Formats: sequence, C-alpha cells, structure tokens
Amino acid sequence: MGRQVGDMTEKQPLVLVIEDEADMRTFARIALAAHGYRMIEASTAAEGIEQATHHHPDLVLLDLGLPDADGSEVTRRLREWSTVPILVISARGNEDAKVKALDDGADDYMTKPFGAAEMMARVRVAIRHAARSAAEPPAVVLIGDDIRVDIARRNVTVRGEEVHLTPIEFKLLATLVRHAGMVLTHRHLLEEVWGPGHGTEMQYLRVYMTQLRHKLERKPARPKYLMTEPGIGYRLRLET
Amino acid sequence: MAGSVRQPSSSRSSVGYFAALAVVGLSSSIGWFVFGQSEIADVAMALLLGVVVVSTRFGHGPSLLAATLSAFVFEFCFLPPYFSLAISNLRHIVTFAVMLVVAFVISHLSKRVHDQADAARDNERRTASLYAVSRELGLAVSLDEILLVAARHLRELFDARAAILLPTGDDQVAPAFVDWDLGGASGEAEEQALEPSRGAGTLSREVREMALWTWRRQLPAGVGTAEFPGTRARVVPLLGSRGAVGVLALFPSWPMRMDDPVEQELLDALAGVVGLALERTRLAEQARRAALWVETEQLRDALLSSVSHDLRTPLAVVTGATSALLAEFAPRDEKSRRTLLETAHREALRLNRLVRNLLDMARVEGGALRVRKDPQPLEEVIGAALHRLEDRLRGRDVETSIPADLPLVPFDSVLVEQVLVNLLENATKYTPEGSPIDVSAVLRDGEVETAVGDRGPGVAPSEVERVFEKFYRSREGEGGGVGLGLPICRGIVGAHGGRIWVADRPGGGASFHFTLPMAGGEARV
Repeated sequence: MGRQVGDMTEKQPLVLVIEDEADMRTFARIALAAHGYRMIEASTAAEGIEQATHHHPDLVLLDLGLPDADGSEVTRRLREWSTVPILVISARGNEDAKVKALDDGADDYMTKPFGAAEMMARVRVAIRHAARSAAEPPAVVLIGDDIRVDIARRNVTVRGEEVHLTPIEFKLLATLVRHAGMVLTHRHLLEEVWGPGHGTEMQYLRVYMTQLRHKLERKPARPKYLMTEPGIGYRLRLET
Repeated sequence: MAGSVRQPSSSRSSVGYFAALAVVGLSSSIGWFVFGQSEIADVAMALLLGVVVVSTRFGHGPSLLAATLSAFVFEFCFLPPYFSLAISNLRHIVTFAVMLVVAFVISHLSKRVHDQADAARDNERRTASLYAVSRELGLAVSLDEILLVAARHLRELFDARAAILLPTGDDQVAPAFVDWDLGGASGEAEEQALEPSRGAGTLSREVREMALWTWRRQLPAGVGTAEFPGTRARVVPLLGSRGAVGVLALFPSWPMRMDDPVEQELLDALAGVVGLALERTRLAEQARRAALWVETEQLRDALLSSVSHDLRTPLAVVTGATSALLAEFAPRDEKSRRTLLETAHREALRLNRLVRNLLDMARVEGGALRVRKDPQPLEEVIGAALHRLEDRLRGRDVETSIPADLPLVPFDSVLVEQVLVNLLENATKYTPEGSPIDVSAVLRDGEVETAVGDRGPGVAPSEVERVFEKFYRSREGEGGGVGLGLPICRGIVGAHGGRIWVADRPGGGASFHFTLPMAGGEARV
C-alpha cells in the first residue's frame, strides 16, 4: 500500500519509489524530504504501477531487483501511457539488466550502493530533463565554460574558436545535448542519429564519438563532458 | 647372467663322457706300463687315480662310467686269466670288488662336493641379484621406475618377461606394466629376442584371470602349482608388510624351470623385495598427499582469518560509531557527531570495496567470467576509469599517452575498465600523495600493451610475481585492500588472452603492463 509522505504543497515534485527493501525506502524518504520532494512508495511492481496510475508522479525510482517482476517489464508498462522519467536502481555487475531497462524506456540508472548526494543529483537532472523536453528546445546550449552549441545555426565553438563538425558528428552532439546529463545507451544513440534499424552498428558510434571528443575535449583520454559508461553507453555532462 | 647353471647342457655332459673314456684309456695305459714290474695294487691305484680325476672334473655320470669301465679294464687286462672276464683266483675277486667299491665311493663323494659347490654358487648368485634388485629399488623413487627395475631383473634372472598388475580398488587388478606384448604368450612358443620395452604390452585373458585368482587368494598360480595347468606363466603375489600390494606374472622362456623349488624361492624372494618397494612408494604418496592437505588447510585458514579480519574491521567501526551516536550519552556537539558519521561512512565504503573485490575474484575464479569482446577505442575505457577514480586522483598529475592512430581493440569494456581502475587504485595506494601517474598504450606485435606507471617506491624484485597472488599484500594495512586487486586483473587479462606484469620504471617507480591481443575480436555487428 502506498502512502503519501509529508505535508508539502502540490508544487513540490512527487517521487514514486518502487523498492522492496524497507530500509532503502526509508533512506530515500529522508533524503527526498530533506530536499523538499514529496514521496509515495511501493514495495512490489504491481503496487508501483498502481501507484503511478493514481498519483501521476513526476519521477519514478525503480529498483531492478523486485520480487514480483523484472524492472524492464515495469518500465514497459509505464511507458505504455506515461512519459514520466524513470530512474532505475541496480546492483553492480548487472549491466545487461540496466541496458535492457534503459532500452525499454528508463531514463537513467544508479548503481547500489549510492549516496544521498548522488541520488539527489540524478533526481534533479531527470526532472529537469523532463521539463525541458516538454518545453521548446533552447537554441543555444553551453557545455561547461568551454563549448557553445548553437543548435539552430549548426554552429559549435570551443573556447571561442569555431569547430567544424561533420553532419553526423553534429547530429550526435545534438542528440547528446538534448538528453544532457542523462545516460544514453548505444542503441538509443544509434537509432536517434542513424535512424531505426541501425541499432547494432556499435563501431560507427564509437568512432564518431572518439572524433567528437578529439574536436571538443581538451584531453580526449580524460574527458570532462563526453563521458563513457562502459557496457552501457554515453553521457554528456553540462557542468563538471 | 643370462642362461642358467641349472639348465642341463647335453653338449657339456657328452664332453664329460668322452673325457671319462679318454682318462680311463690313459690310466689303463699307465697300468699296462707298470704291470709286470710292480705289484697288481699299483695298477689298481693308477686306475683309481683316473676315476678320481674324472669324478672331480666331470661330475657324476662320467665318474660312474669311469668307475665301471676301470673296474672292468682291471679285471679284463690285469687279473688272470688275462683278456677274459673270468676270475681264477679268489684273492683277485676281492681285489676287483674293492676296486669297484672304491671307484663308486670316490665318484659319489666327488659328486657331493660338486653339488655343494653348485649350491654355494647358486646361493651367491641369488644373494647378489637380490642385493642388486634391493639396491636399485631403493633408489627408485617413482612407481614407474620400480616397475622398470623389477622387469629388467626378472628378465635377466629368469630369462623371462614379466607383467605386474596393481589393485584398482574394487578387488580387481589391472596391468601396470607388461614387458613386451604378452597377449598370446601363453600357448605358443615365441622365440623373439627379449628387448627392453616400456611396459605397454597387453595381457591375455587367461593371465588376467590367473592374476585375479592370485590377488584374491594371495597364493602362486600357474607353472609349479596345481592351478591353471597348461599355462606357461607363473603368477605370484607381490607381498608387502601388510599383505599383497600387487601381482607378478612371469613368462620364462623355459617354463619348466619354475618347477624347481629353488627357482620358486628365488622368485618369491624377488617378489617380496618388489612388493616392499611398491608399498614404500604407496605410503610415500599417501604421506605426500596428507602433507599437501595439511598445507592447503593451513593456507585456507590463513586466508579465512585474513578475509574475516578485513571484513570485521570496518564493520566494527561502523557498528561502534553508529551505536555511539545512538547511545543515551551520545555526543551533543556537532563536530563529534560529524566525525563519527564520517568514520562510519568511510568504513562502509571500504567494506563495499572489499565485498566488490571478493565477488569479482569469485567470478574470475569460478569461471563465471563472460568476456564480451567488442572492438573499441582504448582511449574511451581509460577515460572512463580515470573518471571513476576522479576523487582519488585529485591533486595528482595524470598523463595519458595513446597513439592517435591506435586501431579499435577488441575487449570487454566493463572488465578492462575494472583492470584499469584496480591498477590506478593501487598506484594511489602505494605512492606518495600528489605524485604523478602515467597511462600509456602502444601497439606492438599484434597486441596492444597498456601501462600504468607511477613514481612510488617500486616493486621489490622478490615481489614481482607475488603481487599477482591472491591475498598477497606488499605492505600490511596500507590502503585497506585484501590483496585481490591484482589477482582480479590477472584473471581478467588472462581471460582476454593477454598477459600482465610489473616492471621497474626508468627514473624510479613501478609500471604495471597488460596486453590485449588484436586478434579474436568478433565484432557484434
């Protein structure tokens, strides 16, 4: 049974935590409350889906190790009718399950054990991303202090100097910018940049990603913005 | 030693008989020569001398011949009436009788002397061979050696091929050594030369049955016994101090010799020596296994106590710190509370690292490691590892040098990231704070060699191998690892078909290298 926590106003974002470990829910509840979020919770997948349909949360924190269903199934069922950002939580060494949930529509992931700071950062990014997607995309995006991307005019400058990008490189960067802060699986990027049906041509993606890094990063082997998530995909950090 | 004294030689005995004829002829001539000038007794003496000569030199048969012949020559030529077998004088009958008896007694006595000498020589030979076998078996260390030595001596002593069968544990015996191919040896006569073989011949079914019979009853079978008549083999148990340890099957080229009790005794004695040697190796093997088991147990205990100590320490700190915060007289000042919380948090993170390493090691060792090779830029995974260790690397100069034209390398990014993270973590653990770390890669001979170099104290020559051993820690307590980081790296790199090692760095410090082969990356396209 879900239960509403706190006496916050409707303006404060509502987070649904689907997690079978009571102690983890307690931890999430306290951390979220401390940052002014409201929280509802569920300990099973069925209960979680029910809560989501009733309360329309602004974010779902979904544990991939639920007893009654696997996480990507929950993701799929939520995605049938909702665009709510979904943050999946999983144990280390479980890359396949993470990638599956992400490919099935989850937005980001966290690996157990994680701290409150990391959780709140991810929650904030995901909610902000959802809000941004709903609104008109910005014409100009700044990556750190160094890189300026003018989406409309297809123009990129690095530390004041214009950099020439090939059409695919630009499309790749634009996709990363659109999902800034969130992880993007290889498949997701391939399908968005190259189009559906190209979901497995991983080597193209890696080669273009390396080229992009060499054009934008000061130290491509120690990137500040175009991050690699081994076994999963890539993530663009807007600020370091 | 091949060829035995016991083996009668027809040529040698016929020589003896001819010699007997010759000697009797000679002694008769001497008798003829003295006859007439001397007493008849002198003639008898000359003839008896001949008998003595024959019996001491040529054995029983020829000496009997010489005795009989001499008696009749004496009667025929020297007793009147001459050249007739009739005896005219009673006195001469006595002379003839005495002559005959003396000749036979001499012949008999010298035969006994002969026999005794033969027996002494046989004894000596037996003793010498048993001594030689014992000494060689004493020097033999392995089962194979013992079997070879035994077979060689059996071949020499008995002019025979041998097979040795050892118990298999279910009251059966199986051939452990078969000199030559003895598959059809029982039945048809084989005149092949005996050559040393490696004991890989086969055994006929009959011999196997005999061996099993002998093994179960611990009694000899075959030639010289009532069991398995018609065979050419003699099968005896190899007796140790506590019963049979195996079975010996002997195939003499001349089976009848095994009817001789002396030969049987010799074979039994030899079987006893071989049995004891086999028992000795078996006991030695048991002792070695027992010692190894004890060693393994001790190692396991040491590892267990090391791991449990490493796990308990952070747990104790977390428990202590949090209980202090929860206690009735918990510190009220913010600073103390914060210190306790920070301690608990730090130790919890350490515990997490320990558990992670233990799980990784279990995965690497348990064969559950699935390597999914994908061609990809090495630069990416190096960047990811450096990012994961951002906090630990803060304040250090980290230089990367990766050739721009380095091709895509097939590897499992999650696993290789772990290798790099472990190597980088080690570098931060064992070098002074703020000292630089360098990561480099180079393509050479079909593999990419990655190196993580530091400017720390380096790795002692005695440790260059040991640092990759499980639970080995270069310096106790430092950094709080369990000594699994490098073994995990070795497991992962090995699973990729690469190598990992540590070397001294020119200019000081250690540098850990690992290779990833360029071949074998099936692109998952």
